[in-house]
Amino acid sequence: MGDAAAALVVDDLHKRFGELEVLKGVSLTAEVGDVIAMIGASGSGKSTFLRCINLLEIPDSGRVMVGGELIRMQPTRNGHARPEDRHQVDRIRSRLGMVFQSFNLWSHMTVLQNVMEAPVHVLKLGKAEAQARAQALLEKVGIGDKGNYYPAHLSGGQQQRAAIARALAMEPQVMLFDEPTSALDPELVGEVLRVMRQLAEEGRTMIVVTHEMGFAREVASEVIFLHQGRIEEQGPPAEVFGNPKSERMKQFLRGVR
Amino acid sequence: MGELIDFRGYGWMLGEGVQVTILVGVCSIALALVLGLIGCWGKLSGNRAARIAADIYTTVVRGVPELVLIILVYYGITTLLQYLLQLALGEEVLIDIDRFSAGVITLGVIYGAFATEVFRGAFLAIPKGQVEAAKAAGMSPLLMFRRIMMPQAWRYALPGLGNLWLVLIKATALMSVIQLDELMRKSDIAARAVKLPFTFYFAASVIYLGITVVSMLLQHRAEAWANRGVRRA
Repeated sequence: MGDAAAALVVDDLHKRFGELEVLKGVSLTAEVGDVIAMIGASGSGKSTFLRCINLLEIPDSGRVMVGGELIRMQPTRNGHARPEDRHQVDRIRSRLGMVFQSFNLWSHMTVLQNVMEAPVHVLKLGKAEAQARAQALLEKVGIGDKGNYYPAHLSGGQQQRAAIARALAMEPQVMLFDEPTSALDPELVGEVLRVMRQLAEEGRTMIVVTHEMGFAREVASEVIFLHQGRIEEQGPPAEVFGNPKSERMKQFLRGVR
Repeated sequence: MGELIDFRGYGWMLGEGVQVTILVGVCSIALALVLGLIGCWGKLSGNRAARIAADIYTTVVRGVPELVLIILVYYGITTLLQYLLQLALGEEVLIDIDRFSAGVITLGVIYGAFATEVFRGAFLAIPKGQVEAAKAAGMSPLLMFRRIMMPQAWRYALPGLGNLWLVLIKATALMSVIQLDELMRKSDIAARAVKLPFTFYFAASVIYLGITVVSMLLQHRAEAWANRGVRRA
């Protein structure tokens, strides 16, 4: 590791659900500005991996470092692990923006309130400043006129863009995308991918779990192919897609074409 | 017909009774909501002891008739406390619990058990993803409870809680057995004094009905507020 701390380092992550070992030692380093696409069949562990980064799932072992800060974990007696310091977890989570497959906007708040909520109550930003920031972000994702709507009144694509604005409002060091377009009607996928592509071009550090091979190929700086909880293939998209080495990757690509 | 609605100068007793009824009702439901939230936390928490305690609470309280509990608390608990204190201190202590407190505590504890179940259902109904989004934004458990979970829990809890309130306000009439001067007892006294049972019991019925109808209207308002942002199918 060089002088400047990497935006995100994950080292040898293991996660077990009962008998099933979902992650069998997965590592990843994202330098600032990297866009890493994680692909793989369903059940390959890619979503679990992403959720372990911000501790929505607690990894059993392995290390996660965000901007050079290690999330301190301690082993438990039953062979799992738990965070040493809840406050550190909250702080690190506030520096990681998460976008979910099912948007997960807070349904009792308007879109604008959704985007303002965490900046005001977690970052303690002033209301006026948070509102200005929120409005600017809604404009950026193309729904500047929808701030006073409740999420239920928006299309899936608009909701997901609002969710992206909500994550961006925290000015996160890394954005985590968990299959952001998988719950969308096909005609709405494009508008969300366009926003994500724009973010990538701005130099945001992004980890994207996706089934959109076009996006992975064109936008990602690195592609990671997960298979049964292990990294099967990894590299620049041109290499991984153009000249896959592993048989499983070839199989997977045949399947998604 | 006219003499049936002549209160013979005893109408003011009903007015006094209504005030006590509403006061007991409001204090009891407040206590019930607090106990309900605590009970719900106990049931949903990972803590085994808390879960068992909450289970015992709801099982016992929901399984014993209200009337029995009211009399037990008012007459029984004081005796028990006196006995225990005498054992501990070695001298006789007189404990007197006033009727109002006994009534509020009893109703609050009883309806707190029902509120526990209402809240439990409500918190379980909150979409898990919205809770995850709150965690992912770095919210502390307390902040998440206050800003994300509680406002949504109201949406699911209000119909059940409204129902609970209606049953509770009617159950305040049972307090007449411990001579709490609420509407039922006042009507009873007045009815016996002037020997007009129909007039006073009927008036009491109408007043109870009035309270519940107003409550229902308020409940609809509250539900409309709690359901903001929900698209009606």
